Amino acid sequence: MSRVYVASVGYTTVGDHWNKSILDLAIEAGFQALTGAPKVKPEQLVVGNMFSGLSSRQEHLGALVVNGLGLTGLPGFKVEAACASGGMASLAVFNMLKAGQIDSALVVGVEKMRDLDPGEVSQALCAAESAEYTQFFGASFVSLNAMLARLYMYEFDVSRDDLSAFPVLAHRNAVNATHAQFRKEVSYEDVARSMVISDPLRLLDCAPVGDGAAALLLVSEDLAGQVKGPLVEMAAAESATNRFSLYERDDMLDFAATRLAAHKALKSAGLSINDVDYLEVHDAFSVVASLSVEALGLSKKGQGARDAREGKYARENGLATNCFGGLKGRGHPVGATGVYQLAETYLQLAHKAGPNQVDDASVGLAQNVGGVDTTAVVHVLRRS
Amino acid sequence: MKLSISYWRLKDRYYRLVGVRCEECKNEFFPPVYVCRRCGSRSLTDKEMPKTGKILTYTELKETLAGFEDQEPMLLGIIQLDNGVRILGQIVDTAAENLSIGDRVKAVFRKIQEHGSSGQIFYGYKFVRT
Ligand SMILES: [Zn+2]
Repeated sequence: MSRVYVASVGYTTVGDHWNKSILDLAIEAGFQALTGAPKVKPEQLVVGNMFSGLSSRQEHLGALVVNGLGLTGLPGFKVEAACASGGMASLAVFNMLKAGQIDSALVVGVEKMRDLDPGEVSQALCAAESAEYTQFFGASFVSLNAMLARLYMYEFDVSRDDLSAFPVLAHRNAVNATHAQFRKEVSYEDVARSMVISDPLRLLDCAPVGDGAAALLLVSEDLAGQVKGPLVEMAAAESATNRFSLYERDDMLDFAATRLAAHKALKSAGLSINDVDYLEVHDAFSVVASLSVEALGLSKKGQGARDAREGKYARENGLATNCFGGLKGRGHPVGATGVYQLAETYLQLAHKAGPNQVDDASVGLAQNVGGVDTTAVVHVLRRS
Repeated sequence: MKLSISYWRLKDRYYRLVGVRCEECKNEFFPPVYVCRRCGSRSLTDKEMPKTGKILTYTELKETLAGFEDQEPMLLGIIQLDNGVRILGQIVDTAAENLSIGDRVKAVFRKIQEHGSSGQIFYGYKFVRT
């Protein structure tokens, strides 16, 4: 089995790209990654994307992006796993490299969200949930997460301010991230006073809507010599699923997909969760970040939000988490998110993270989720 | 997507909460499953669910999905029916401030959505406090 390395990364800023199409965004990120390692010629393209058919009346993104990159002839396909599409695209490439089938590949995660009206975005996101038993009754994606948040607060006596800890942390970290959508700190009071979206979740509990694309150029160990600068290994990529709908689960507060995927990934990398010194969690909603750190085994059940409030996941003196703002601050262009997380983890481990660089970061874990922990993809990256 | 076709297929599910029961271990499921979650059996037959239960969690959604605007704000809940099955549905005829986790509810037959262009009306279950 070959080892897999990150040769380079690319990403656009996240936000309103009124003058750029979904293809423009994918090419911008893709070119950056290719330019970072000019000697590497990819043998495969995989695109992570959730709803290009709805947002841009465009499917067939594999061939479209291959042609846009000027690489006609190269095989390319799209991977869809709701908000975990980006992570899953990387996992698909990881497995091909690991198996020795190819020696180099480009992963591009992309989503165009702002061409849709807000109501259309809700509809598109909700397509990750059951059409017959969730969408039919009018339950949007945020409403499911809101019901999860109420249950979490009720079961574990979690306060409004406890829940706000992850959004506050994310925004603080996003200030120095040049590609982040919201580079502005928010206070506990700001979160508590923001508009109610679906009680108890408020605007600042929820990741924003934005356009963006991110890319990774991955190589096998045979091509690792072509990589300039510090070598970062993609040590493991694993995925798992939970029962499809939240309400079908015996314990709704157990993110079993995340737990299983993380267990497999750490085992495959020969590491334990205590070896991780940089973390990217899927903070699409405040409650999701809290339940994720619990499922990863970093916080005890019911303690994730409180631990965050007490500084456990702070850049200073904690397990540095979401140092470019996470989904909440950097933004959440859904199909691109998992690839942003990996690009950012790479920047930390390559010690190229700029003002938010974590001292001596050497093992990074990135958790990307589709639905309410319905699909989870967990990657482990390691500085060589 | 022609909602009218999937709706027609699912009328018994939506109107009478017809789920399934496992022939082997007698556990019940709604929405229906193809494989029993408890014993793995594929022998499942239709079974009407009980119409009463309690609220496990709920929310008041301020902005609804398209087609539900006339129902804003919408109360949604996850209900545990008296056979242990959990389902999602709207809670109606009350306001958020009256709701608590653990409240008893029963299923009622109501209009779910109305399609502006076609005028089609879709019916199904919602929940009211008892
Ligand atoms: Zn059974």
